[in-house]
Amino acid sequence: MSVAIDRRALEPWQDPSAVPFVRIERVTKQFGDIYAVDDVSLSIFQGEFFSLLGSSGCGKSTLLRLLAGLDYPSSGRIFIDGADVTDIPPYQRPVNMMFQSYALFPHMTVEQNVEFGLEQERMPRRERAERVGEMLDLLKIGELRKRKPDQLSGGQRQRAALARSLAKHPKLLLLDEPLGALDKRLRENTQFELVNLQERIGTTFVTVTHDQEEAMTMSSRIAVMEAGRILQIDTPTGIYEFPSNRFVAEFIGSVNLFEGRVMQRDGDLVTVETRLGRPIQMRCPLPLALGKPVTIAIRPEKIRLSAAYRDDAVNQIRGTVEDIAYLGDVSIYHVRISPDQVTRMTLANIQPQTEQELTWGQEVAMEWSPTSGVVLTD
Amino acid sequence: MRRGRWPLFTILAFGYAFLYIPVALLVIFSFNESRLVTVWSGFSTKWYAELFRNQQLLEAAWLSIRIAAVNATFAVLLGTLSANALVRHRRFRGRGGFELLLTAPLVMPDVIIGLSLLLLFVALQQGIGWPDGRGFTTITIAHITFSLAYVAVVVRARLSQLDRSLEEAAMDLGARPLTVYLRITLPLIAPALLSGWLLAFTLSLDDLVVASFVSGPGSTTLPMVIYASVRMGVSPQINALATLIMLFVALAVVVASLALRSQAKDRGHRTNARR
Ligand SMILES: Nc1ncnc2c1ncn2[C@@H]1O[C@H](COP(=O)(O)OP(=O)(O)O)[C@@H](O)[C@H]1O
Ligand SMILES: [Mg+2]
Repeated sequence: MSVAIDRRALEPWQDPSAVPFVRIERVTKQFGDIYAVDDVSLSIFQGEFFSLLGSSGCGKSTLLRLLAGLDYPSSGRIFIDGADVTDIPPYQRPVNMMFQSYALFPHMTVEQNVEFGLEQERMPRRERAERVGEMLDLLKIGELRKRKPDQLSGGQRQRAALARSLAKHPKLLLLDEPLGALDKRLRENTQFELVNLQERIGTTFVTVTHDQEEAMTMSSRIAVMEAGRILQIDTPTGIYEFPSNRFVAEFIGSVNLFEGRVMQRDGDLVTVETRLGRPIQMRCPLPLALGKPVTIAIRPEKIRLSAAYRDDAVNQIRGTVEDIAYLGDVSIYHVRISPDQVTRMTLANIQPQTEQELTWGQEVAMEWSPTSGVVLTD
Repeated sequence: MRRGRWPLFTILAFGYAFLYIPVALLVIFSFNESRLVTVWSGFSTKWYAELFRNQQLLEAAWLSIRIAAVNATFAVLLGTLSANALVRHRRFRGRGGFELLLTAPLVMPDVIIGLSLLLLFVALQQGIGWPDGRGFTTITIAHITFSLAYVAVVVRARLSQLDRSLEEAAMDLGARPLTVYLRITLPLIAPALLSGWLLAFTLSLDDLVVASFVSGPGSTTLPMVIYASVRMGVSPQINALATLIMLFVALAVVVASLALRSQAKDRGHRTNARR
């Protein structure tokens, strides 16, 4: 995965002088009383693999359709490659889309489907045939060229749809749940294939998904959406390690939340008072007022669990093991830390299960360092 | 379980008998030697020969077929446009009224349709001098007014089932709205257009009441001729004619369904061969 590291090293969004390829400015889309997209602003850079992630009905597809021109925003502007395309119809945008249902034309063969877009731009026949061949080869569906969509399996349809949407060499490819209709195993293989394809052809991809794992695997950056709004835009690492609010923290992976108040500040180290025993110390670059209610978010794998109680530990909460779920490589422990709160943590099973020292009902201490979580204010 | 099925089977047999014995009798007696419709006296095709010498009947048949064909074509055109308006434009001024007026002929008695159109044609002729007398044109227009409603219903059903994203995908690939309609929408609703056309054709060929109101001298349609001649006593010629019409309709239906199915079948074979 050296390529993935290269891509992250580029990070054009960190560079204030970089010109975004797609710019969405304060776009709102209303359907009657529903705000499907609510005051969204967003920049996407050339060559990115950008994902819109959110639960069903949060407005991801609508945002994608606004980029494609299949819907027009109620307010706000959209720029693609420097041009204002807000009022440009879909057939004049340098954008293609792969539909959630694939939308392959049922009365045409795979080949005719792929060729359709090229015919529309009046490409000469010879060149067209060449491009179609190229696309079918790229997606390894050459031998299916004479088949109609209803003679294809789910995976083959997905490839045909992808070939069709790439045939015109769009500057921007929009993919609505590109892997949503595939079964689990096929989906995992296809994720990597899609990323490799994108890196090979260099087209900017914007995908929509409700699957956080998929978004984490494929994306250069992720925008987490909820109820038409964007809650956070960051790299997969950023979203996971530094969620900016409670919703994102809980939506991606699992997390333990401890509520408290800011008691003391010392540089970027804050001390938070909770109802769970000793105060907790966390790194937090945000300026926080004393007494402010905050939530501390710690990922389960960042917590150490031990039977021994140590006096010198920075952050420590004591509890009782209530439940252990053995998953083979790891075990998940449920620890009751107060009458109304149970936390989860994940421990790698380094020792064989029979030799583990922790058992049901045991008194334990949970510890973590001030840098292994975030302090959230909402 | 077998015993349980017997009553059902009997009812079914009676049902079919009720429907098809009269038709079978009609066909059989078209080959009857006797002039009496109810007495069998030997096989003969003489009524067919006589039918083809009956100038009045043949002219009426030709007129009816021409009216039916023109009617069906216009009904499909207008019915498709109406269906499009209803399915694709969820909201436009007067949508409710349009929908009601479009489908009203489905439940309107033929007598009322016929009478009101007659009044309209007479008034028009007095007012603007068109239509000049009644005949082919007025019958065709009258038939279009009600056939259109049936076609609109058939096409509308198909159109509202059509996955909107297919048209969106075409547009996304650079096709303008007209191209999208011609290359994607039309081919996909073609089966409905074909059945709409056949339906309109049959409705027109079948109509006696409306045509009686709006026809004029020298424009007698086939049902009108048959009805008139039956009142003067049934000639086995009518049986022969009815047999031919049935044959014609059956043929049309078979051809149409074969045309529709051939693609699907074709696909099926290829799939099997490849797998
Ligand atoms: N054409 C439409 N008319 C009315 N409401 C719509 C339309 N399209 C989407 N919506 C509504 O907008 C919201 C967002 O929908 P969508 O963008 O499809 O969500 P997602 O793709 O994230 O599941 C939903 O509440 C949906 O019901
Ligand atoms: Mg969606």
